[in-house]
Amino acid sequence: MSIRILLADDHPLTRAGIAEFLRRESSFELVAEAEDGLRAWERIQELKPDVALLDIRMPGMDGVSVAQKVKNEGLPTATVMLTSYDAQQYVMASLRAGAKGFVLKTVSPRELTAAINTVAKGGLYLDPEVASVMGKSDFVPEQLSAREREVLLLAAKGLSSKEVAKRLFISERTVQTHLASIYDKLGSKNKTEALLLALKYGVVTLEEILEDGD
Amino acid sequence: MLERMKRILCGLFSRGRAAGKPKHHFLAFLLCALILPSVAVVLVAVGGMVSQERAMEAAVRSYVQDLAESMAYHLSSSSQLGALPLLSDMTGYPFFSWGPSIPGWVALISLDGRVIMASPGAMNIAAIWRRDLPIGKATRVEDKQGAQYTLAIYPLTRGDGYVVAAVSWDQLLGGLVRMSRMWPVLIVLVTLGSFWAIRLLWRRLVLPLQSLVAEIDNLRVGKDVPGELGRGAVKEIESVQDALTRFAQAAVERDNLRNRYVQDIVRVQEKERVDMAREIHDGPLQDITALLQQIHMSLDEAEQQDSAPSAQQPLSRIKRAEGLARTVVRELRSLCDELAPPWVDLGLTETLTELAERLSQNYGIQVSVDVEDPPEGSSQRSVRGLDVGPETTLSFLRILQEAVSNAVRHGEATEVRAALSLEEVEGGERLRLDIWDNGRGFDADIDHEALRLQGHRGLANMTERMSLMGGTLTITSEIGKGTHILAALLV
Repeated sequence: MSIRILLADDHPLTRAGIAEFLRRESSFELVAEAEDGLRAWERIQELKPDVALLDIRMPGMDGVSVAQKVKNEGLPTATVMLTSYDAQQYVMASLRAGAKGFVLKTVSPRELTAAINTVAKGGLYLDPEVASVMGKSDFVPEQLSAREREVLLLAAKGLSSKEVAKRLFISERTVQTHLASIYDKLGSKNKTEALLLALKYGVVTLEEILEDGD
Repeated sequence: MLERMKRILCGLFSRGRAAGKPKHHFLAFLLCALILPSVAVVLVAVGGMVSQERAMEAAVRSYVQDLAESMAYHLSSSSQLGALPLLSDMTGYPFFSWGPSIPGWVALISLDGRVIMASPGAMNIAAIWRRDLPIGKATRVEDKQGAQYTLAIYPLTRGDGYVVAAVSWDQLLGGLVRMSRMWPVLIVLVTLGSFWAIRLLWRRLVLPLQSLVAEIDNLRVGKDVPGELGRGAVKEIESVQDALTRFAQAAVERDNLRNRYVQDIVRVQEKERVDMAREIHDGPLQDITALLQQIHMSLDEAEQQDSAPSAQQPLSRIKRAEGLARTVVRELRSLCDELAPPWVDLGLTETLTELAERLSQNYGIQVSVDVEDPPEGSSQRSVRGLDVGPETTLSFLRILQEAVSNAVRHGEATEVRAALSLEEVEGGERLRLDIWDNGRGFDADIDHEALRLQGHRGLANMTERMSLMGGTLTITSEIGKGTHILAALLV
C-alpha cells in the first residue's frame, strides 16, 4: 500500500520539482498540493494523509504552526518540515511542534524517500545537513551515563548550566564537565546539536524532551 | 550675614576661575562703595556742624558778654540815671526798644530779679533768671520749654541792678539745630537704604546670575532645557535666560532631529537588509533549489537508464553541476544570514542560541547563551517566551555578533558566555544581555573616538545601536581580565 502524501510549499518551482519526484515514486501517492499554510491545514483535516511535507515559511500559516495544529488535534498525519532554513533552532522548534522529520529542500531524492518512509513508520528523520556530523551513518555514539542523559534533557529545555546544577544538586562545573563529555560522545559541538544527535541516535526520545519541555 | 554672603560669593566666583582673577571680594567692595561715602558724608557733616556750633557759641558768648558789659558801663556812667528808670519809660534808652542786632534781647533787672527795662522778646527772662547764674561770664541756659540761650550778666557799678544780655539759639540757629537733630535719623536711613539696595542687588542680580551660571554649567547641550529662573530677576538677566532657553531648545530639537534621522537611517538600512535577505531567500535560493531538484532527477534517470561507459562523461558533468548548485545554495544562505538571518523570526532566545552555535563553529571557540530564569517564587516574568519583536532581536543579535568578533580578533578569547535576563527596575522591566569573554581585555580608558576614526567602529556601533533603541550599553574591561558587555533595554 502506497504512502499518501500532502505537499505544501508556496514556491511553485520547488513545489513542482518535488511533486514530480513524488509522483514518479510508485510507493508514494501525492494526494494534495497546497500553496499556503491555511490550505494545507484544510486539506490535512480533509484527507488525513500519512505524511505531510510542509514548507516552514508560507503565507497564511507557517509550517511549524500547521504541525502544531496536527499534533494538537491528534491527527494521524506525520509532519515533515521541507524547508530551505538550515537553522538548528528551526529543527528544535519543529520538533517541539510535533514534527517527525526535518528535511532541507536541497536533499537528494534518495534521502527524501528515506525520510518519508521513516516517518510513515513512526520514526524520526533529521536531515544530515542541519547538524554537520549527522551524515556519518557509520558513527556509533558512545553510551551516555544516566547523569549525562539527565543533564542533556534539562539543557534541552533551555535551562542554563547554573539552573541545571541547582536542579540536580551538583556544581556548575560538574554540569560543564558532563556537557563536554556528552558533546564528545555524540560528536557534537553544542547543546542543540548534541540534542539533535541524541534524538537521531535514539539516546533520548522526542517524547522525553517534549514532556520535560512543557 | 556678611560671612554667608562671602561664602556664597566665593562659591560662585571660584567656579569662574577660568575667567581670570577671582572676584572674592566683590560684595565687600560693593558694600564699601555704597556705605563708605554715606558714612563719610555724615561724618564730615557732623564735624562741620560741631565746629560751626562751637564757633557760633564762642562768637555769641563774646557778643553777649560785650553787650552786657557795654550796656552796664553805659547805664552806670549815665548821669541822667539817678535811679533805675521805670519800665514804661524807655525813651532815653532807644537801645532797649530796638533790641540787639542779632536775635536775642537785653534787659536791665533789679537785684531782686524784677525787670526794669527790656527789649522786645525779653519778657520770659523771669523764666530763666536764677540767682546762681554766674556774673560777668557767658552761660548757656535752658528755659522750661527747652529753648536754649546764651546769656551774660553784668552788674551796674552802682550795685542796684544787672544788665542781662542773651541770644536765643532757637532764633539764631533754629534751623541748623533742628537739622542737626535730624542727622542721626538720616544716617540710619542712608544705612538702611544702602542695605536695602544691596539686598535688592543680591536678589535681583547676583542670585539670578548665580543660578544662571549654575544652569549653564550643568547644561548638557542638546539634552536639557534650563528651568525657570526665580521671579524678580532684572530684565537683562531674564533676557539672557530667555536666550539661553531658546538656544538650549534649538539644540535639543536639533539633536532630536539628528537622532531621529540616524534612527531612520539605521531602521531603513536594517529593513533593507531584511527585505534583501527575504528576496534572496524566496527568489534565487528557491530557484537554485528547484534547479538542484531537476539535476537530482536527471542524475537518477541517467543512472537508471544508461550504465554504458559512453554515458559516464555527461553523468560526471551533471554531478559537477549538482556540486556547483549546492555551493550556490550555501553561499546564498550565508549571504542571507549575513544580511538578516531568517531565523530571527524564531524569537530572541532561539536567535541568540542559533547565533552562538554558529559563531562557536565559525571561530572554533566556545560561545554559549544562557537564559537566566527569575528566582523561584518571584513574580518576575522569564525571558523565555518574551516577544520583543524583530527589531530588538536583530539589535541584540548584532551586538552578540560584534562582541564575539571583537573578543576573538582583539582579545584572543577562547570562550564567550552570554546570559539573557529580565529584571525589574524603576519604570518597568529591563531586558539585559550580559556578555563575558576570557580574552585579554583592554584599558578601560581607551579612546573610543580615536578608535572610531581609525575605522574600528565595533564598540561605537554597539553603543549607538543600543542608544537608538533607547537602551544602554556598558563595557567594562581590564587588561588580563577579559571584557564584560552589558546591553540593557526597557521592555
